[in-house]
Amino acid sequence: MALGMAFGASSLLHAADGDSAVGRQKNQMCEGCHGVAGFRTAYPVVYSAPKLGGQNIAYIVKALHDFRAGTRKHPSMNSIAASLSDKDIADLAAYYGVDAK
Amino acid sequence: MTRPLGGAPKTETKTMKRILLVAAVGVSIAAAGTTMAGDYEAGRKKAAEVCAACHGEDGNKTLTPDTPRLAGQYYDYIVHALLAFQKGKRENPLMSPMAKPLTREDIHNVAYFFSKQKGLETKY
Repeated sequence: MALGMAFGASSLLHAADGDSAVGRQKNQMCEGCHGVAGFRTAYPVVYSAPKLGGQNIAYIVKALHDFRAGTRKHPSMNSIAASLSDKDIADLAAYYGVDAK
Repeated sequence: MTRPLGGAPKTETKTMKRILLVAAVGVSIAAAGTTMAGDYEAGRKKAAEVCAACHGEDGNKTLTPDTPRLAGQYYDYIVHALLAFQKGKRENPLMSPMAKPLTREDIHNVAYFFSKQKGLETKY
């Protein structure tokens, strides 16, 4: 019962946090790198842009907040994240991610 | 310019040395390439020791919601992330100390292991 309530509360929280359908409308700036299988960054070093599908929602939110704050550094991600509102971040995370297991 | 009579053989020796050097470089590149691929079994063992508690045994079951899933993530991205933590270019109170003691081989092995698990996907 308590567990059920806890789960219920957490899904409500996520539903209130981000809107997956709205996130889908906002992901034009993501898909050029993250939506291309095997896409590799050219700058500052070469490696594959990470897969986001199925990532934990809370991690995507944290990563975008860190990029926006500049506490995590990547030239393109810092400038892209700087243009996002809290709501944008929540919507995008809801679109790409899933609730943690 | 006069050359000693032994000039020709010396040149040959030099040529041989060059060939050997080129061959040796080739072998080391090939060896580095092998390391790059990562050792699945060694990666599985190391991951069970140092990564599984927070990321889950296969990288899918995370301890906290804001811990990233690693299952199916790109091999070279995981290597990049671990090196960044190790060099202090990316910082996290939990990950930085975990990454520091890893050898280059450990990094490639655990990255290879997680990249081969079923989980994350490219989403357009």
